[in-house]
Amino acid sequence: MHSQLRVLRVLVEDNPGVMARVSGMIRRRGFNIETITVGPSTEPGRSRMTLTVDAGHAEVDQVAKQLDRLIEVIEVEDITDAPTVSRELLIAKLDKVPPTVEQYGARQLATGIVELTADSETVEEFIEFLKPFGIKELARTGPVAMRRSA
Amino acid sequence: MTGADMVLEALEREGVEIIFGYPGGANLPLYQRLPAHPKLRHILVRHEQGAAHMADGYARATGRPGIVFATSGPGALNLVTGLCTAFMDSVPMIAITGQVPTAVVGRDAFQESDVIGCTQSVTKHSYLVTKVADIPRVISEAFHIAATGRPGPVLIDICRDVQQAEGGDFEYSYCSVLPGYKPALEPDLVQVERAAEMLAGARRPVILAGHGVILSHAEQELLEVAERSGTPVGTTLLGVGAFPVQHPLALHMTGFMGTGWNIKAVQNADLLMMVGMRVDDRVTAKLSEWAPKAESFVHIDIDASEMGKNVRPHLEVVADAKRALTAMAPYVKPPPADRGEWLTQIDAWREEHPLKYSRSNGHLQPQDVLIDMYRRCQDEAIVVADVGQNQIWAALWWNYTKPGLFLNSGGSGTMGFAFPAALGAKFGRPDKDVWCVAGEGGFVMTAQELSVAVEHQVPVKIVLLNNFSLGMVRQFQDDFYGGVRSEVDLTVMPDFVKLAEAYGLKARRVDRYEEIKPAFDEAQATPGPFLIDFRIDPEANVYPIVPLGKGLDDFWELPNGA
Ligand SMILES: Cc1ncc(C[n+]2csc(CCOP(=O)(O)OP(=O)(O)O)c2C)c(N)n1
Repeated sequence: MHSQLRVLRVLVEDNPGVMARVSGMIRRRGFNIETITVGPSTEPGRSRMTLTVDAGHAEVDQVAKQLDRLIEVIEVEDITDAPTVSRELLIAKLDKVPPTVEQYGARQLATGIVELTADSETVEEFIEFLKPFGIKELARTGPVAMRRSA
Repeated sequence: MTGADMVLEALEREGVEIIFGYPGGANLPLYQRLPAHPKLRHILVRHEQGAAHMADGYARATGRPGIVFATSGPGALNLVTGLCTAFMDSVPMIAITGQVPTAVVGRDAFQESDVIGCTQSVTKHSYLVTKVADIPRVISEAFHIAATGRPGPVLIDICRDVQQAEGGDFEYSYCSVLPGYKPALEPDLVQVERAAEMLAGARRPVILAGHGVILSHAEQELLEVAERSGTPVGTTLLGVGAFPVQHPLALHMTGFMGTGWNIKAVQNADLLMMVGMRVDDRVTAKLSEWAPKAESFVHIDIDASEMGKNVRPHLEVVADAKRALTAMAPYVKPPPADRGEWLTQIDAWREEHPLKYSRSNGHLQPQDVLIDMYRRCQDEAIVVADVGQNQIWAALWWNYTKPGLFLNSGGSGTMGFAFPAALGAKFGRPDKDVWCVAGEGGFVMTAQELSVAVEHQVPVKIVLLNNFSLGMVRQFQDDFYGGVRSEVDLTVMPDFVKLAEAYGLKARRVDRYEEIKPAFDEAQATPGPFLIDFRIDPEANVYPIVPLGKGLDDFWELPNGA
């Protein structure tokens, strides 16, 4: 994966249209966003987003500040350099499921469908590994991340 | 209480005195209840864009949010240019638009448009209201957001059925905190002390002041810091009025069409302190060639996202300009002994590169018109300029010794802004004389609002600098696009005196220098609005100017003795 990728954790109000605001801001300012994931947070009425941004420090700083200007964005944190854990989910439909998928910690979900939850690099490796087995369909979430406990 | 009454009641609670608006299908419930709220004066504009600019001018002149009403679809979309104009210049405004009923939202109902979507990038925030109970909260939040921090327009889109719905008892509480909105107001004291030290350590410092200084009423504090530290001060186009131009430390306007001595000072400065400004491309021209000798940049702005957006500062102070300068003042040191050299150098540049214009071709010169107008302003009047050559002339010939109100559309450069904005300014500040300076191209873009001026006898004096062309574009074509004059001719235009008379206001035409004074005398003696069609030199240009794509050092000016 790209070495420049930086990870932002964003806490937003869970209002209709907040995704449009965030993605509109990103498009308008011409930022290079690789992935966005979003889901509920522990606080009611708030969602947690994880963004990976393919850019240098200065641009990521602008992404963070521009996001922070949005009224519905409560908090933006660049956790790239912090100790974090990061995971993404992949599901893939294959012509034939190889017996060795378990080596990657993947498992078979249904006939011809495998699932893997791992860091993004491992997910990439796993996709390479699967290619010879005929990938018919593939879906991945992009990473979600959090800081490790101190 | 119905939703419509709640809206109007909330506006009253917020101290609103005037609304600029236009009715239609989706805001009829609001208009049905409006007469029951006589404290709210409503101005029926002739085009929604006029309403937006009037609200904008009102807000710039008073500091209070301007209020706009419009219906759904075409009505709301006619606001977009005005919202953008306010957004780019950080002007507080609240636009309340009607939306189709909740049941048909998203079904391409009659006059439905995605107003939130269309305005997202030109508003500070926006709300779609689909529940009547949300109205008081949304309106109080909108006022808080529009008027605090870096101000800006907020749009509230309210479905028609919500306006009609019964919402029970009205309870209103003023919003002062929002979880995701915490404007940085107070400066970090370590940083302001450091800023003062850097200023004291510089040999050739320059302060540049932007709209933020005016928005935070920091003119006095700026003057104090400048005088105590012996630092010359330039302004951006929107900062004109932030510093007295007759002051010995004044560098006047900076940037792409700034004064020669300002450009020289910026290009030779070893320290630039930018206060309440964005440092946009009209200030820097070619960025890589801007301020090449500056060893440090200090940036003071209320918006953290401005830090490093265009120029990466060595020191950032994210704070309200007034509070930052107030906090800095005690640390400001008197200038070092050699400051005189820098100021003498600037004086020499002022001598070498004065503002000038030529009368040699016998035509009426716009500068002569403006010099007479400004003489009459006496440091007090509000001057609203449109966009184009007229705007830059009005900025450059600004002569106030006191901080004053010069209003124009800087960030968006919206032609048609000046006249409705001048009406809005006069509605907000009836105690002030208000002058509108415009080119004929921009003026006809919103001239339908002459009816508003006549209906309410708004004594705005319109100074039309009529050069029979889209002057600024014509100049760009002449100077930078090979002299190909393409689609800039405006010789076929209405007779503006007759046009004014058709609308019902007095007007006069001026072709010669000698007629300037009597025309202005008549305009000032006439109660109500007045238009003067100054038929100026069709070849008059704005100088200095920096060729497009070039650095500030490459500025062009009229040769001496021209
Ligand atoms: C709405 C809008 N359309 C186009 C432009 C581009 N533009 C900038 S200045 C200018 C010419 C303005 O002509 P006029 O109003 O006659 O003023 P002058 O420059 O002659 O003083 C134009 C077309 C603009 N700024 N705004």
